[in-house]
Amino acid sequence: MLQIRDASVTFPASDGSAVHALDHVSLDIAPDSIVVAVGASGCGKSTLLNAIAGFLPLTEGSIMLDGEEIDRPGGDRGVVFQKDTLLPWASVVDNVALGLKFAGVAKTARRERARELLDLVGLADFADKPPYELSGGMRQRVGLARALATDPKILLMDEPFGALDSLTRETMQQLLASIWARTGKQILFITHSIEEALTLGTTVVVMSPRPGRIVARFEAGFVREFAETGDIGPILSDPNFIQLREEIRALIHRPAGKGTLQ
Amino acid sequence: MTLAADPRAVFTHVQPAPKLRRQLTNEPIKSVSSGTLLISTITLLALLALWFVATQLGWASPLFLPSPAEVLTQFHAVAIDGYADGTLIQHTLASLGRILVALAIGVVLGVPLGLLMGLNRWIRGTLSVPIGLYWGLPPLAYLPLLIIWLGIGESSKIVLLSLSTFAPICFSAQAGVRSVPAERINAALSLGATRLRLFTNIILPSALPEILTGLRIAVAAGLSCLVAAELIAARSGLGYMIMSAANFLSTDVVFVGLILIAILAFLFAIGMRWLERKLVPWKGKI
Repeated sequence: MLQIRDASVTFPASDGSAVHALDHVSLDIAPDSIVVAVGASGCGKSTLLNAIAGFLPLTEGSIMLDGEEIDRPGGDRGVVFQKDTLLPWASVVDNVALGLKFAGVAKTARRERARELLDLVGLADFADKPPYELSGGMRQRVGLARALATDPKILLMDEPFGALDSLTRETMQQLLASIWARTGKQILFITHSIEEALTLGTTVVVMSPRPGRIVARFEAGFVREFAETGDIGPILSDPNFIQLREEIRALIHRPAGKGTLQ
Repeated sequence: MTLAADPRAVFTHVQPAPKLRRQLTNEPIKSVSSGTLLISTITLLALLALWFVATQLGWASPLFLPSPAEVLTQFHAVAIDGYADGTLIQHTLASLGRILVALAIGVVLGVPLGLLMGLNRWIRGTLSVPIGLYWGLPPLAYLPLLIIWLGIGESSKIVLLSLSTFAPICFSAQAGVRSVPAERINAALSLGATRLRLFTNIILPSALPEILTGLRIAVAAGLSCLVAAELIAARSGLGYMIMSAANFLSTDVVFVGLILIAILAFLFAIGMRWLERKLVPWKGKI
Protein backbone atom coordinates (compact mmCIF):
# COMPACT_ATOMS: atom_id res chain seq x y z
CA MET A 1 0.00 0.00 0.00
CA LEU A 2 1.42 3.34 -1.07
CA GLN A 3 0.12 6.40 0.77
CA ILE A 4 0.82 9.91 -0.43
CA ARG A 5 -0.19 12.61 2.04
CA ASP A 6 -0.22 16.32 1.22
CA ALA A 7 2.84 15.94 -0.96
CA SER A 8 4.23 19.20 -2.34
CA VAL A 9 7.30 19.85 -4.45
CA THR A 10 8.42 23.42 -5.05
CA PHE A 11 11.23 24.47 -7.37
CA PRO A 12 12.84 27.86 -7.56
CA ALA A 13 12.19 29.26 -11.04
CA SER A 14 14.83 31.17 -12.97
CA ASP A 15 13.16 34.50 -12.14
CA GLY A 16 13.30 33.72 -8.41
CA SER A 17 9.63 32.85 -7.98
CA ALA A 18 8.53 29.43 -6.76
CA VAL A 19 7.12 26.81 -9.12
CA HIS A 20 4.63 24.50 -7.45
CA ALA A 21 5.27 21.35 -9.46
CA LEU A 22 3.20 19.37 -7.01
CA ASP A 23 0.71 21.01 -4.68
CA HIS A 24 -0.66 19.10 -1.69
CA VAL A 25 -1.37 15.89 -3.50
CA SER A 26 -2.86 12.99 -1.57
CA LEU A 27 -3.30 9.61 -3.17
CA ASP A 28 -3.42 5.96 -2.14
CA ILE A 29 -2.32 3.13 -4.34
CA ALA A 30 -3.76 -0.12 -3.08
CA PRO A 31 -2.28 -3.53 -3.81
CA ASP A 32 -3.66 -5.06 -6.98
CA SER A 33 -4.46 -1.69 -8.53
CA ILE A 34 -3.13 0.31 -11.44
CA VAL A 35 -3.32 4.01 -10.79
CA VAL A 36 -2.81 6.05 -13.91
CA ALA A 37 -2.01 9.74 -13.64
CA VAL A 38 -2.97 11.61 -16.79
CA GLY A 39 -2.59 15.26 -17.64
CA ALA A 40 -0.99 17.82 -19.92
CA SER A 41 2.75 18.50 -19.80
CA GLY A 42 3.81 20.25 -16.64
CA CYS A 43 0.91 19.01 -14.55
CA GLY A 44 3.30 17.40 -12.07
CA LYS A 45 2.63 13.79 -12.95
CA SER A 46 6.30 13.02 -13.56
CA THR A 47 7.24 15.00 -10.44
CA LEU A 48 4.87 12.79 -8.49
CA LEU A 49 6.49 9.65 -9.86
CA ASN A 50 10.01 10.96 -9.26
CA ALA A 51 9.10 11.79 -5.66
CA ILE A 52 7.75 8.27 -5.10
CA ALA A 53 10.84 6.79 -6.73
CA GLY A 54 12.92 8.88 -4.33
CA PHE A 55 14.70 10.83 -7.06
CA LEU A 56 13.23 14.10 -5.86
CA PRO A 57 12.75 15.25 -2.25
CA LEU A 58 9.33 16.47 -1.16
CA THR A 59 9.09 20.05 0.03
CA GLU A 60 6.12 19.14 2.21
CA GLY A 61 4.08 16.08 3.07
CA SER A 62 5.02 12.43 3.13
CA ILE A 63 5.02 9.27 1.04
CA MET A 64 4.78 5.94 2.84
CA LEU A 65 5.21 2.51 1.30
CA ASP A 66 3.83 -0.23 3.55
CA GLY A 67 4.20 2.08 6.52
CA GLU A 68 7.78 3.10 5.75
CA GLU A 69 8.59 6.65 4.77
CA ILE A 70 10.27 7.11 1.40
CA ASP A 71 13.20 9.50 1.30
CA ARG A 72 15.56 7.94 -1.26
CA PRO A 73 15.59 5.57 -4.25
CA GLY A 74 15.42 1.91 -3.38
CA GLY A 75 14.93 -1.56 -4.77
CA ASP A 76 11.41 -1.85 -3.31
CA ARG A 77 10.13 0.45 -6.10
CA GLY A 78 10.76 -0.68 -9.66
CA VAL A 79 10.94 2.13 -12.20
CA VAL A 80 10.36 1.91 -15.95
CA PHE A 81 11.54 5.05 -17.71
CA GLN A 82 10.36 6.59 -20.96
CA LYS A 83 13.92 6.78 -22.19
CA ASP A 84 15.71 3.50 -22.45
CA THR A 85 18.18 3.20 -19.57
CA LEU A 86 19.64 -0.20 -20.37
CA LEU A 87 23.38 -0.65 -20.02
CA PRO A 88 24.85 -0.99 -23.52
CA TRP A 89 27.85 -3.03 -22.35
CA ALA A 90 25.75 -5.75 -20.74
CA SER A 91 23.72 -8.41 -22.54
CA VAL A 92 19.95 -8.30 -22.32
CA VAL A 93 19.87 -11.03 -19.67
CA ASP A 94 22.48 -9.26 -17.55
CA ASN A 95 20.53 -6.03 -17.84
CA VAL A 96 17.45 -7.77 -16.49
CA ALA A 97 19.56 -9.32 -13.73
CA LEU A 98 21.10 -5.98 -12.68
CA GLY A 99 18.87 -5.43 -9.65
CA LEU A 100 19.48 -9.00 -8.50
CA LYS A 101 23.21 -8.41 -8.87
CA PHE A 102 22.91 -5.36 -6.62
CA ALA A 103 20.96 -7.51 -4.17
CA GLY A 104 23.84 -9.97 -4.04
CA VAL A 105 22.19 -12.87 -5.89
CA ALA A 106 24.73 -15.30 -7.39
CA LYS A 107 25.34 -15.15 -11.14
CA THR A 108 23.68 -18.39 -12.22
CA ALA A 109 20.65 -17.84 -10.00
CA ARG A 110 20.08 -14.28 -11.15
CA ARG A 111 20.50 -15.20 -14.82
CA GLU A 112 17.99 -17.99 -14.41
CA ARG A 113 15.48 -15.60 -12.87
CA ALA A 114 16.22 -13.02 -15.58
CA ARG A 115 15.54 -15.60 -18.28
CA GLU A 116 12.17 -16.38 -16.71
CA LEU A 117 11.27 -12.71 -16.87
CA LEU A 118 12.49 -12.41 -20.46
CA ASP A 119 10.20 -15.31 -21.23
CA LEU A 120 7.36 -13.43 -19.53
CA VAL A 121 7.88 -10.40 -21.78
CA GLY A 122 8.38 -12.58 -24.86
CA LEU A 123 12.09 -11.97 -25.38
CA ALA A 124 13.56 -15.31 -24.36
CA ASP A 125 15.37 -15.60 -27.70
CA PHE A 126 17.13 -12.27 -27.24
CA ALA A 127 18.73 -12.94 -23.85
CA ASP A 128 22.31 -12.90 -25.08
CA LYS A 129 22.03 -9.97 -27.49
CA PRO A 130 23.35 -6.53 -26.62
CA PRO A 131 20.47 -4.10 -26.02
CA TYR A 132 21.39 -1.86 -28.96
CA GLU A 133 20.46 -4.64 -31.36
CA LEU A 134 16.86 -4.52 -30.12
CA SER A 135 14.05 -2.27 -31.35
CA GLY A 136 12.59 0.44 -29.14
CA GLY A 137 9.61 -1.66 -28.12
CA MET A 138 11.79 -4.63 -27.28
CA ARG A 139 14.04 -2.43 -25.15
CA GLN A 140 11.04 -1.25 -23.18
CA ARG A 141 10.11 -4.89 -22.59
CA VAL A 142 13.61 -5.46 -21.25
CA GLY A 143 13.18 -2.40 -19.03
CA LEU A 144 9.93 -3.83 -17.72
CA ALA A 145 11.51 -7.24 -17.09
CA ARG A 146 14.40 -5.55 -15.30
CA ALA A 147 12.03 -3.61 -13.04
CA LEU A 148 10.09 -6.80 -12.26
CA ALA A 149 13.15 -8.96 -11.61
CA THR A 150 13.69 -7.82 -8.03
CA ASP A 151 9.98 -8.29 -7.29
CA PRO A 152 9.43 -4.71 -6.12
CA LYS A 153 6.40 -3.77 -4.04
CA ILE A 154 5.28 -1.24 -6.61
CA LEU A 155 6.02 -0.57 -10.25
CA LEU A 156 6.46 3.07 -11.27
CA MET A 157 6.09 3.67 -15.01
CA ASP A 158 6.91 7.09 -16.42
CA GLU A 159 5.31 7.32 -19.88
CA PRO A 160 7.00 4.04 -20.74
CA PHE A 161 5.28 3.63 -24.10
CA GLY A 162 5.31 7.31 -25.05
CA ALA A 163 8.14 6.99 -27.55
CA LEU A 164 6.80 3.87 -29.29
CA ASP A 165 4.87 3.62 -32.51
CA SER A 166 1.17 2.97 -32.08
CA LEU A 167 1.23 -0.73 -33.01
CA THR A 168 4.07 -1.54 -30.63
CA ARG A 169 2.43 0.61 -28.02
CA GLU A 170 -0.79 -1.40 -28.16
CA THR A 171 1.11 -4.65 -27.79
CA MET A 172 3.00 -3.26 -24.83
CA GLN A 173 -0.29 -2.24 -23.22
CA GLN A 174 -1.60 -5.76 -23.67
CA LEU A 175 1.59 -7.15 -22.19
CA LEU A 176 1.39 -4.88 -19.17
CA ALA A 177 -2.30 -5.66 -18.59
CA SER A 178 -1.67 -9.41 -18.68
CA ILE A 179 1.39 -9.16 -16.45
CA TRP A 180 -0.63 -7.13 -13.99
CA ALA A 181 -3.48 -9.64 -14.10
CA ARG A 182 -1.00 -12.42 -13.44
CA THR A 183 1.14 -10.81 -10.73
CA GLY A 184 -1.31 -8.37 -9.13
CA LYS A 185 1.53 -5.87 -8.81
CA GLN A 186 0.50 -2.37 -7.74
CA ILE A 187 1.39 0.06 -10.46
CA LEU A 188 1.58 3.81 -10.85
CA PHE A 189 1.50 4.65 -14.53
CA ILE A 190 2.07 8.12 -15.98
CA THR A 191 0.77 9.05 -19.41
CA HIS A 192 -0.54 11.97 -21.41
CA SER A 193 -2.82 9.71 -23.43
CA ILE A 194 -6.37 9.63 -22.08
CA GLU A 195 -7.15 6.40 -23.91
CA GLU A 196 -4.08 4.72 -22.50
CA ALA A 197 -5.04 5.92 -19.02
CA LEU A 198 -8.54 4.45 -19.29
CA THR A 199 -7.38 1.24 -20.92
CA LEU A 200 -4.82 0.48 -18.24
CA GLY A 201 -6.03 2.13 -15.05
CA THR A 202 -8.19 0.66 -12.34
CA THR A 203 -8.06 4.22 -11.08
CA VAL A 204 -7.42 7.24 -13.27
CA VAL A 205 -6.37 10.48 -11.63
CA VAL A 206 -6.49 13.62 -13.73
CA MET A 207 -3.87 16.22 -12.94
CA SER A 208 -3.75 19.89 -13.90
CA PRO A 209 -0.71 22.17 -14.07
CA ARG A 210 0.39 25.29 -12.17
CA PRO A 211 0.07 24.23 -9.43
CA GLY A 212 0.29 20.48 -10.05
CA ARG A 213 -2.84 19.00 -8.50
CA ILE A 214 -5.17 16.07 -8.76
CA VAL A 215 -8.40 17.56 -10.08
CA ALA A 216 -10.46 14.42 -10.52
CA ARG A 217 -10.41 10.73 -9.88
CA PHE A 218 -12.24 8.01 -11.79
CA GLU A 219 -12.61 4.31 -11.18
CA ALA A 220 -12.34 2.28 -14.37
CA GLY A 221 -12.43 -1.44 -14.90
CA PHE A 222 -11.55 -1.78 -18.55
CA VAL A 223 -8.12 -3.17 -17.81
CA ARG A 224 -9.59 -6.42 -16.44
CA GLU A 225 -11.47 -7.02 -19.67
CA PHE A 226 -8.42 -5.99 -21.65
CA ALA A 227 -6.16 -8.39 -19.74
CA GLU A 228 -8.62 -11.20 -20.37
CA THR A 229 -9.40 -10.67 -24.04
CA GLY A 230 -6.28 -8.86 -25.16
CA ASP A 231 -8.50 -6.98 -27.56
CA ILE A 232 -8.65 -3.22 -27.30
CA GLY A 233 -11.25 -2.73 -30.05
CA PRO A 234 -14.45 -3.41 -28.07
CA ILE A 235 -13.15 -1.35 -25.15
CA LEU A 236 -12.47 1.71 -27.28
CA SER A 237 -16.04 1.62 -28.62
CA ASP A 238 -17.64 0.93 -25.23
CA PRO A 239 -20.09 3.83 -24.48
CA ASN A 240 -18.84 4.03 -20.87
CA PHE A 241 -15.30 4.30 -22.12
CA ILE A 242 -16.23 7.05 -24.55
CA GLN A 243 -18.13 8.97 -21.92
CA LEU A 244 -15.26 8.82 -19.42
CA ARG A 245 -12.80 9.76 -22.14
CA GLU A 246 -14.80 12.87 -23.01
CA GLU A 247 -15.15 13.84 -19.34
CA ILE A 248 -11.42 13.58 -18.80
CA ARG A 249 -10.72 15.42 -22.03
CA ALA A 250 -12.93 18.28 -20.88
CA LEU A 251 -11.10 18.40 -17.54
CA ILE A 252 -7.68 18.47 -19.12
CA HIS A 253 -8.54 21.09 -21.69
CA ARG A 254 -10.30 23.35 -19.21
CA PRO A 255 -8.56 26.72 -18.93
CA ALA A 256 -6.16 26.81 -16.00
CA GLY A 257 -7.08 28.47 -12.72
CA LYS A 258 -10.83 27.81 -12.87
CA GLY A 259 -10.97 26.09 -9.51
CA THR A 260 -10.59 22.42 -8.77
CA LEU A 261 -12.70 19.39 -8.06
CA GLN A 262 -11.46 17.03 -5.45
CA MET B 1 -2.43 -17.08 -23.67
CA THR B 2 -2.08 -13.59 -25.07
CA LEU B 3 1.51 -13.36 -23.95
CA ALA B 4 2.71 -16.19 -26.10
CA ALA B 5 0.99 -14.94 -29.21
CA ASP B 6 1.53 -11.21 -28.89
CA PRO B 7 5.29 -10.89 -29.11
CA ARG B 8 5.28 -12.86 -32.34
CA ALA B 9 2.57 -10.61 -33.66
CA VAL B 10 4.85 -7.64 -32.99
CA PHE B 11 7.79 -9.26 -34.68
CA THR B 12 5.95 -9.97 -37.87
CA HIS B 13 4.16 -6.67 -38.11
CA VAL B 14 6.42 -4.07 -36.60
CA GLN B 15 9.87 -5.53 -37.13
CA PRO B 16 10.21 -4.63 -40.82
CA ALA B 17 10.22 -0.94 -39.98
CA PRO B 18 13.37 -0.92 -37.82
CA LYS B 19 14.99 -3.46 -40.12
CA LEU B 20 14.38 -1.28 -43.11
CA ARG B 21 15.73 1.72 -41.25
CA ARG B 22 18.85 -0.19 -40.33
CA GLN B 23 19.40 -1.13 -43.94
CA LEU B 24 18.93 2.40 -45.10
CA THR B 25 21.39 3.83 -42.61
CA ASN B 26 23.91 1.00 -42.70
CA GLU B 27 24.48 0.55 -46.35
CA PRO B 28 25.69 4.02 -47.22
CA ILE B 29 28.03 3.99 -44.20
CA LYS B 30 29.45 0.66 -45.24
CA SER B 31 30.05 1.73 -48.82
CA VAL B 32 31.56 5.02 -47.68
CA SER B 33 34.07 3.35 -45.36
CA SER B 34 35.21 0.71 -47.85
CA GLY B 35 35.31 3.45 -50.48
CA THR B 36 37.68 5.64 -48.46
CA LEU B 37 40.01 2.73 -47.81
CA LEU B 38 40.45 2.24 -51.54
CA ILE B 39 40.82 5.98 -52.19
CA SER B 40 43.34 6.32 -49.37
CA THR B 41 45.43 3.45 -50.70
CA ILE B 42 45.43 4.93 -54.18
CA THR B 43 46.41 8.35 -52.78
CA LEU B 44 49.29 6.81 -50.83
CA LEU B 45 50.55 4.98 -53.91
CA ALA B 46 50.19 8.16 -55.97
CA LEU B 47 52.26 10.12 -53.45
CA LEU B 48 54.97 7.44 -53.53
CA ALA B 49 54.91 7.50 -57.32
CA LEU B 50 55.18 11.29 -57.31
CA TRP B 51 58.15 11.06 -54.95
CA PHE B 52 59.77 8.52 -57.26
CA VAL B 53 59.15 10.58 -60.40
CA ALA B 54 60.31 13.80 -58.76
CA THR B 55 63.66 12.31 -57.81
CA GLN B 56 63.99 10.38 -61.08
CA LEU B 57 63.48 13.51 -63.16
CA GLY B 58 65.71 15.57 -60.88
CA TRP B 59 63.04 18.11 -59.88
CA ALA B 60 64.87 18.62 -56.61
CA SER B 61 68.45 18.13 -55.50
CA PRO B 62 69.04 14.80 -53.67
CA LEU B 63 70.24 16.95 -50.80
CA PHE B 64 66.69 18.14 -50.27
CA LEU B 65 64.75 15.18 -51.56
CA PRO B 66 66.51 11.80 -51.57
CA SER B 67 65.13 9.13 -53.85
CA PRO B 68 63.05 6.25 -52.43
CA ALA B 69 65.88 3.88 -53.34
CA GLU B 70 68.39 5.93 -51.34
CA VAL B 71 66.09 6.05 -48.36
CA LEU B 72 65.61 2.31 -48.59
CA THR B 73 69.36 1.76 -48.73
CA GLN B 74 69.85 4.05 -45.72
CA PHE B 75 67.05 2.26 -43.94
CA HIS B 76 68.96 -0.98 -44.34
CA ALA B 77 72.30 0.61 -43.37
CA VAL B 78 70.93 2.33 -40.28
CA ALA B 79 69.10 -0.81 -39.24
CA ILE B 80 72.29 -2.88 -39.41
CA ASP B 81 75.17 -0.49 -38.70
CA GLY B 82 73.29 2.09 -36.70
CA TYR B 83 73.45 5.86 -36.74
CA ALA B 84 74.14 8.37 -33.97
CA ASP B 85 75.25 5.84 -31.34
CA GLY B 86 72.49 3.31 -31.95
CA THR B 87 70.82 1.04 -34.43
CA LEU B 88 67.40 1.83 -35.79
CA ILE B 89 65.84 -0.69 -33.44
CA GLN B 90 67.57 0.88 -30.43
CA HIS B 91 66.41 4.36 -31.36
CA THR B 92 62.88 3.14 -32.01
CA LEU B 93 62.75 1.23 -28.75
CA ALA B 94 64.11 4.23 -26.84
CA SER B 95 61.33 6.44 -28.25
CA LEU B 96 58.68 3.76 -27.86
CA GLY B 97 59.75 3.07 -24.27
CA ARG B 98 59.48 6.75 -23.35
CA ILE B 99 56.03 7.17 -24.78
CA LEU B 100 54.72 3.92 -23.29
CA VAL B 101 56.03 4.85 -19.83
CA ALA B 102 54.48 8.31 -20.19
CA LEU B 103 51.16 6.82 -21.30
CA ALA B 104 51.21 4.41 -18.38
CA ILE B 105 51.86 7.27 -15.94
CA GLY B 106 49.18 9.34 -17.63
CA VAL B 107 46.62 6.55 -17.27
CA VAL B 108 47.58 5.53 -13.73
CA LEU B 109 47.39 9.12 -12.45
CA GLY B 110 44.95 10.66 -14.90
CA VAL B 111 42.10 8.16 -14.78
CA PRO B 112 41.61 8.05 -10.98
CA LEU B 113 42.15 11.79 -10.56
CA GLY B 114 39.82 12.55 -13.46
CA LEU B 115 37.16 10.25 -12.02
CA LEU B 116 37.49 11.94 -8.63
CA MET B 117 37.22 15.33 -10.31
CA GLY B 118 34.06 14.19 -12.02
CA LEU B 119 32.56 12.95 -8.77
CA ASN B 120 33.54 15.71 -6.37
CA ARG B 121 33.05 19.43 -6.81
CA TRP B 122 35.89 20.33 -4.42
CA ILE B 123 38.46 18.12 -6.07
CA ARG B 124 37.33 19.36 -9.49
CA GLY B 125 37.55 23.00 -8.44
CA THR B 126 40.98 22.55 -6.87
CA LEU B 127 42.73 20.42 -9.47
CA SER B 128 41.31 21.99 -12.59
CA VAL B 129 43.32 25.18 -11.91
CA PRO B 130 46.89 23.78 -12.00
CA ILE B 131 46.08 21.28 -14.73
CA GLY B 132 44.31 23.91 -16.83
CA LEU B 133 47.23 26.31 -16.38
CA TYR B 134 50.00 23.97 -17.52
CA TRP B 135 47.88 22.24 -20.20
CA GLY B 136 47.47 25.62 -21.88
CA LEU B 137 51.24 26.00 -22.23
CA PRO B 138 53.14 24.57 -25.19
CA PRO B 139 55.11 21.69 -23.61
CA LEU B 140 58.32 22.79 -25.28
CA ALA B 141 58.05 26.13 -23.50
CA TYR B 142 58.52 24.51 -20.11
CA LEU B 143 60.95 21.82 -21.26
CA PRO B 144 63.93 24.11 -20.49
CA LEU B 145 62.59 24.52 -16.96
CA LEU B 146 62.27 20.76 -16.58
CA ILE B 147 65.85 20.35 -17.81
CA ILE B 148 67.05 22.89 -15.22
CA TRP B 149 65.16 21.02 -12.50
CA LEU B 150 65.73 17.42 -13.55
CA GLY B 151 68.80 17.50 -15.78
CA ILE B 152 69.19 16.31 -19.35
CA GLY B 153 68.60 12.61 -18.56
CA GLU B 154 65.53 10.44 -18.99
CA SER B 155 63.54 11.95 -16.11
CA SER B 156 63.00 15.37 -17.69
CA LYS B 157 61.69 13.74 -20.88
CA ILE B 158 59.49 11.29 -19.00
CA VAL B 159 58.04 14.10 -16.90
CA LEU B 160 57.42 16.25 -19.98
CA LEU B 161 55.69 13.41 -21.81
CA SER B 162 53.72 12.37 -18.73
CA LEU B 163 52.48 15.92 -18.30
CA SER B 164 51.32 15.96 -21.90
CA THR B 165 49.52 12.60 -21.64
CA PHE B 166 48.11 13.16 -18.14
CA ALA B 167 45.95 16.21 -18.88
CA PRO B 168 43.84 14.85 -21.76
CA ILE B 169 43.30 11.54 -19.95
CA CYS B 170 42.38 13.30 -16.72
CA PHE B 171 39.99 15.74 -18.41
CA SER B 172 38.33 13.01 -20.44
CA ALA B 173 37.80 10.80 -17.38
CA GLN B 174 36.18 13.77 -15.67
CA ALA B 175 34.01 14.49 -18.70
CA GLY B 176 33.13 10.80 -18.87
CA VAL B 177 31.80 10.83 -15.33
CA ARG B 178 29.84 13.99 -15.91
CA SER B 179 28.31 12.71 -19.13
CA VAL B 180 26.65 9.68 -17.51
CA PRO B 181 22.93 10.15 -18.21
CA ALA B 182 20.99 11.04 -15.06
CA GLU B 183 18.32 8.47 -15.95
CA ARG B 184 20.92 5.70 -16.00
CA ILE B 185 22.02 6.64 -12.49
CA ASN B 186 18.42 6.90 -11.28
CA ALA B 187 17.63 3.54 -12.83
CA ALA B 188 20.55 1.93 -11.01
CA LEU B 189 19.56 3.56 -7.71
CA SER B 190 16.00 2.32 -8.07
CA LEU B 191 17.41 -1.17 -8.64
CA GLY B 192 19.09 -0.91 -5.26
CA ALA B 193 22.63 0.08 -6.22
CA THR B 194 24.90 1.18 -3.38
CA ARG B 195 27.33 4.05 -3.95
CA LEU B 196 30.19 1.65 -4.61
CA ARG B 197 28.10 -0.45 -7.00
CA LEU B 198 26.95 2.70 -8.74
CA PHE B 199 30.55 3.68 -9.32
CA THR B 200 31.94 0.31 -10.42
CA ASN B 201 28.93 -0.96 -12.38
CA ILE B 202 27.52 2.22 -13.90
CA ILE B 203 29.77 5.27 -13.79
CA LEU B 204 33.10 3.64 -14.64
CA PRO B 205 31.91 1.71 -17.71
CA SER B 206 29.85 4.72 -18.82
CA ALA B 207 32.98 6.88 -18.68
CA LEU B 208 35.13 4.36 -20.55
CA PRO B 209 34.43 5.60 -24.11
CA GLU B 210 35.41 9.13 -23.09
CA ILE B 211 38.53 7.85 -21.33
CA LEU B 212 39.59 6.04 -24.50
CA THR B 213 39.02 9.20 -26.51
CA GLY B 214 41.29 10.97 -24.02
CA LEU B 215 43.88 8.22 -24.46
CA ARG B 216 43.78 8.77 -28.21
CA ILE B 217 44.46 12.49 -27.71
CA ALA B 218 47.19 11.60 -25.18
CA VAL B 219 48.91 9.38 -27.75
CA ALA B 220 48.92 12.21 -30.29
CA ALA B 221 50.11 14.77 -27.73
CA GLY B 222 52.74 12.35 -26.42
CA LEU B 223 54.11 11.57 -29.88
CA SER B 224 54.53 15.21 -30.83
CA CYS B 225 56.17 16.03 -27.48
CA LEU B 226 58.38 12.97 -27.67
CA VAL B 227 60.00 13.80 -30.96
CA ALA B 228 60.31 17.48 -30.07
CA ALA B 229 61.94 16.67 -26.74
CA GLU B 230 64.36 14.28 -28.42
CA LEU B 231 65.25 16.93 -30.96
CA ILE B 232 66.24 19.30 -28.17
CA ALA B 233 67.76 17.12 -25.50
CA ALA B 234 68.46 13.42 -25.85
CA ARG B 235 71.21 10.86 -26.52
CA SER B 236 68.90 8.31 -28.15
CA GLY B 237 65.56 8.04 -29.86
CA LEU B 238 64.19 8.73 -33.33
CA GLY B 239 64.05 12.50 -32.78
CA TYR B 240 67.71 12.47 -31.73
CA MET B 241 68.61 10.41 -34.79
CA ILE B 242 66.79 12.86 -37.08
CA MET B 243 68.51 15.86 -35.47
CA SER B 244 71.95 14.23 -35.73
CA ALA B 245 71.35 13.37 -39.37
CA ALA B 246 70.13 16.88 -40.11
CA ASN B 247 73.35 18.30 -38.64
CA PHE B 248 75.26 16.40 -41.33
CA LEU B 249 72.64 17.10 -44.02
CA SER B 250 71.95 13.37 -44.31
CA THR B 251 68.45 13.97 -45.62
CA ASP B 252 68.00 10.28 -46.41
CA VAL B 253 68.45 9.35 -42.73
CA VAL B 254 66.05 12.15 -41.78
CA PHE B 255 63.52 10.51 -44.11
CA VAL B 256 64.13 7.12 -42.50
CA GLY B 257 63.40 8.64 -39.10
CA LEU B 258 60.29 10.45 -40.31
CA ILE B 259 58.89 7.35 -42.01
CA LEU B 260 59.44 5.32 -38.84
CA ILE B 261 57.66 7.92 -36.71
CA ALA B 262 54.78 7.93 -39.17
CA ILE B 263 54.59 4.14 -38.98
CA LEU B 264 54.69 4.35 -35.18
CA ALA B 265 51.85 6.87 -35.15
CA PHE B 266 49.86 4.71 -37.56
CA LEU B 267 50.36 1.63 -35.39
CA PHE B 268 49.22 3.58 -32.33
CA ALA B 269 46.10 4.65 -34.20
CA ILE B 270 45.35 1.04 -35.17
CA GLY B 271 46.02 -0.06 -31.60
CA MET B 272 43.62 2.54 -30.25
CA ARG B 273 40.93 1.48 -32.68
CA TRP B 274 41.45 -2.14 -31.66
CA LEU B 275 41.23 -1.16 -27.99
CA GLU B 276 37.97 0.70 -28.60
CA ARG B 277 36.45 -2.22 -30.46
CA LYS B 278 37.49 -4.55 -27.63
CA LEU B 279 36.51 -2.41 -24.68
CA VAL B 280 33.60 -0.27 -25.90
CA PRO B 281 31.92 -2.04 -28.82
CA TRP B 282 28.73 -0.27 -27.82
CA LYS B 283 30.19 3.22 -28.33
CA GLY B 284 27.75 5.45 -30.19
CA LYS B 285 25.12 2.70 -30.25
CA ILE B 286 22.97 3.97 -27.36
